[in-house]
Amino acid sequence: MTSLVLGARTPGGVRRPRRRPGRAALRLLPLLPAVVLMAVFLAGPVLWSFYGSLTNQALTGYRAAAPEFVGLDNYTALFGDGQFWKAVVLTVVFVGASAVVGQNVLGMALALMLRATGRVLRSVVSAIVVVAWVLPEIVAAFALYAFFATDGTLNNVLGWFELTGPTWLITFPMLAVILANIWRGTAFSMMVYDAALAEVPPEITEAASIDGATGAQRFLRITVPMIRRAISTNLMLTTLQTLAVFTLIWVMTGGGPGTSSSTLPVLAYQEAFKFAQVGYGTAIATVTLLVGAVFSIVYIRVLKPEVD
Amino acid sequence: MTAMTPTTTSVVTTPRRTPSVASPRRRTGRAFVAVVLIGVGVAFLVPLAWIVLAALDPAATVSVKLPESFTLDNFSQIMTWDQTFRPLWNSAVISGGTAILTVLASVLAAYPLSRYQMRFRKPFLYAILFGTCLPITAMMVPVYALFVNLGLLDNVPGTVFFLTATSLPMAIWMTKNFMDSVPVSLEEAAWVDGAGSMTALARVVVPLMRPGIAVVFIFVFTQAWGNFFVPFVLLFSPGNQPAAVAIYNFFGTYGTIAYGRLAAFSLLYSVPVLVLYLLVQRFSGGSFAMSGAVKG
Amino acid sequence: MRLQTALASAGVLVLGLAACSSGGGGSSDDDSTITVAYQKTAQFHQLDDLLQKAKTEYEAANEGRTIELVPIEAEQDQYFTKLALMNGSPDTAPDVIYEDTFQIRSDAAAGYLLPIDDYLADWDDWDQFLDTAKQAGLGDDGKTYGVSMGTDTRGLYYNKDLFAQAGLPTDWQPESWDDVLDAARTLKEKLPDVTPLNVYAGKAGGEQTTMQGFEMLLYGTDDELYDADSQKWITGSTGFEDSLGFLETIYTEGLAPSLDVALDASVGARVASELLPQGKLAMAVDGSWLPGGWISGDNAWPEWEDTMGMAAMPTQDGQDPGFTSMSGGWTLAVGSQASDPQAAFDFIALALNQENSLKYDTENSQIAVRSDVAEDPEYLGYNPSFEFFSSLVEYTHFRPATPDYSQISSTIQVAAESVATGQADAAQAARTYDDGLVGIVGADATQAAG
Repeated sequence: MTSLVLGARTPGGVRRPRRRPGRAALRLLPLLPAVVLMAVFLAGPVLWSFYGSLTNQALTGYRAAAPEFVGLDNYTALFGDGQFWKAVVLTVVFVGASAVVGQNVLGMALALMLRATGRVLRSVVSAIVVVAWVLPEIVAAFALYAFFATDGTLNNVLGWFELTGPTWLITFPMLAVILANIWRGTAFSMMVYDAALAEVPPEITEAASIDGATGAQRFLRITVPMIRRAISTNLMLTTLQTLAVFTLIWVMTGGGPGTSSSTLPVLAYQEAFKFAQVGYGTAIATVTLLVGAVFSIVYIRVLKPEVD
Repeated sequence: MTAMTPTTTSVVTTPRRTPSVASPRRRTGRAFVAVVLIGVGVAFLVPLAWIVLAALDPAATVSVKLPESFTLDNFSQIMTWDQTFRPLWNSAVISGGTAILTVLASVLAAYPLSRYQMRFRKPFLYAILFGTCLPITAMMVPVYALFVNLGLLDNVPGTVFFLTATSLPMAIWMTKNFMDSVPVSLEEAAWVDGAGSMTALARVVVPLMRPGIAVVFIFVFTQAWGNFFVPFVLLFSPGNQPAAVAIYNFFGTYGTIAYGRLAAFSLLYSVPVLVLYLLVQRFSGGSFAMSGAVKG
Repeated sequence: MRLQTALASAGVLVLGLAACSSGGGGSSDDDSTITVAYQKTAQFHQLDDLLQKAKTEYEAANEGRTIELVPIEAEQDQYFTKLALMNGSPDTAPDVIYEDTFQIRSDAAAGYLLPIDDYLADWDDWDQFLDTAKQAGLGDDGKTYGVSMGTDTRGLYYNKDLFAQAGLPTDWQPESWDDVLDAARTLKEKLPDVTPLNVYAGKAGGEQTTMQGFEMLLYGTDDELYDADSQKWITGSTGFEDSLGFLETIYTEGLAPSLDVALDASVGARVASELLPQGKLAMAVDGSWLPGGWISGDNAWPEWEDTMGMAAMPTQDGQDPGFTSMSGGWTLAVGSQASDPQAAFDFIALALNQENSLKYDTENSQIAVRSDVAEDPEYLGYNPSFEFFSSLVEYTHFRPATPDYSQISSTIQVAAESVATGQADAAQAARTYDDGLVGIVGADATQAAG
């Protein structure tokens, strides 16, 4: 339930006009617990990530006892490793298909359709979609594992139509985890877009309607431009959330078969903890972190959320 | 203006416009929409239905099916301290600790950010915003290495601190926005009475933003409750492991034979967050509803 | 006033954090508590039974001391990961560790284990242990790091009922890989609903894929993984490629389990508790401990004695000595961070005394490594498969004992899975392995097969 949504303009704090010497430091004091916690447990791992990726630390063997500083060796190895580039591609596919396209398009479609249907259907369908999002991630992962398993629900349903389904998690692991992530995350986009659509004054679209614009034209030419900020924010947030997905893939496919569904977080875990190459795994984590950071900066720069 | 606030909407908003006299074309359109919605609803429902039906099925399999007979045996079999209650208790301790610490730290931090004009306020808030976006799961490998050095592995408070630190950026952001909506004029009265800023915060501001604090608390609690990867890497002994990890272990060691019990455990584990979600909706029903929150 | 309140609230919080961080935690640093980390699953409860018993006995004999059992509920591969994570920090490192022999050199090199030679010198029972078992506990430095709990061999299980239905002999001993493949093909043709043969090939299976799977093939060829004389790892061997080729054959011809079963971490448990007992699988290359789970426990299967046949794994073309097997085994080891190593060792000595070793070796179908257990009539009479699996000792091989082995083993698993899934053919997978090998040990520590 990671949720960040555009919010309303807030009244904004009124600042106290007078300043006295020494006061500033005192005023900052309440920030201390939060700053200390974030410095140690948030900035700490980030810095450690950079440092650790420059060592050959291992979980076992001589290099566990005495890791050495190896400079950029891990990165050199990483960029020459086909596995890594495959993971990059899989991550891009996973994020692109499940977040950018899947969750956003389905979320928008649901938001539009729910606004154009009766109250009962609206509450029931939206409640079901939201429950999938509220469930703990590991439970959602089990539910979808069961859904896509060889003797699972999907293949049973196909069986009613005399079709023999493939072993989804083996034959189409990426498709399975992409659909799973759409199932799990669509509610978020749906709610964001629903809130955004509620803000579009009906008079405007009605006016366009009278001018003879079709539904699609009204949507593309009027609605979309009016909610473009919500769209770009949502795209960015779902992208970042999906980039960090581990549990869903780990439970459903374990990154396999082979490495067919090993996205960057899964690859980092495997390299560090299964193959005991902590330094190498840390280098992968650092790259993932940098990708996330770039996205965040783009988001902050492009959208310029007012921090007021 | 795009400040970020929590998703505190009642599921979806009610459209302002209801079509008056439906034309035949519109009626087919509506029927089409209804059919598609029912289809999507069923597709989303089926995996959920599996959890509920398998939990009640004495012979559960991986496929959703109506049990031939209903039973509570799956539940009674897992109703043991080691299997279910201790992990759930650990989850409650970890999530509760995280939520309390986060709320305390973020209310304190939000006050100067909301009330004072400071030179570094803007950069600080941008940094916070940046922090909310970092892919935390990518960090678990370095986090493990850091915890080795801090001597905090398999340590519940250590895990709570980490979870707190990762939820703080979001929580500070939310709390600050909630605090911004509390008028300063009310505190001024307290200042006149000679109260310090912290007293004003405790006596005036916090009571006024109680629903907002509840939203932050529940939000953080739910996130920590559902988190699997962090305790999976940082906590080892069964005495410390929360339900998310216990349930994964159960899947690993009994999974292929005991789907009914797995589903029953999953259900017990999910109920608290579903209840909390309903609570959020109640708290947020009024002033914090997201409807009308997104502007172009 | 204002200052105090602000300071107080910030200070209390920070102090509070510091205060609670010093308390709590799972493994206690308390000298009187010994933490024991070991594996436990639904199928593998025998060790838990043994340690529970030893805990009771130890605590009764040593007033004021506590044994804290820390079962790690995970399949083997995940167990190794969790154990490595725990060992990574002195605070969480257990005092007594259930340690696979192949991990000993690597973990000893990492500084996770404590040499126990001094304690063994004072332990009369140590003379009862066979030499091979003593060697299995050695580190690279020649010191002893683990007390062997038992050893094992591996062979071919086959279902006589299914063999009879397919018109195959029920008293069967293949002489080459081709004999095994022929039988598998016959089974596939006659009994299409039955999986003919399981040889592990999944990455998630961890060491079982390397040892019960790949190495049971490789050590039946003319090649090995490692040249012990030159102390170099071998690249580009025909045997390596042929072994992968065998896996490729059975998985692509549909003679092996479907991939959703084969690649799952639970495949080992399913073979033992589900596929073999339910007659869904006709042949399996697997370990000597399987009957342990059939004799007693949740998955007891009394009919196994009549149903299951056992055969030695043949060499590739029947070359001398005709058959092959692999032996490993587990030990109990003392963690290097143990606060009271003598107490930790005493617990191990108690847990592996004659009575407890007998209990464990019978219940878990281990080949006894204490001569006073191996000769015990109760041991010999307990499990009719002991005689057969003990007879394989003459053909058996041990894994290369080097600190790098565990990482190299992971690379083998990757190669095996890539041919089973068809993502690479045997030659490609063998090349990938060679590259990975050089990456781990360096080019100097390898030699081309010759």
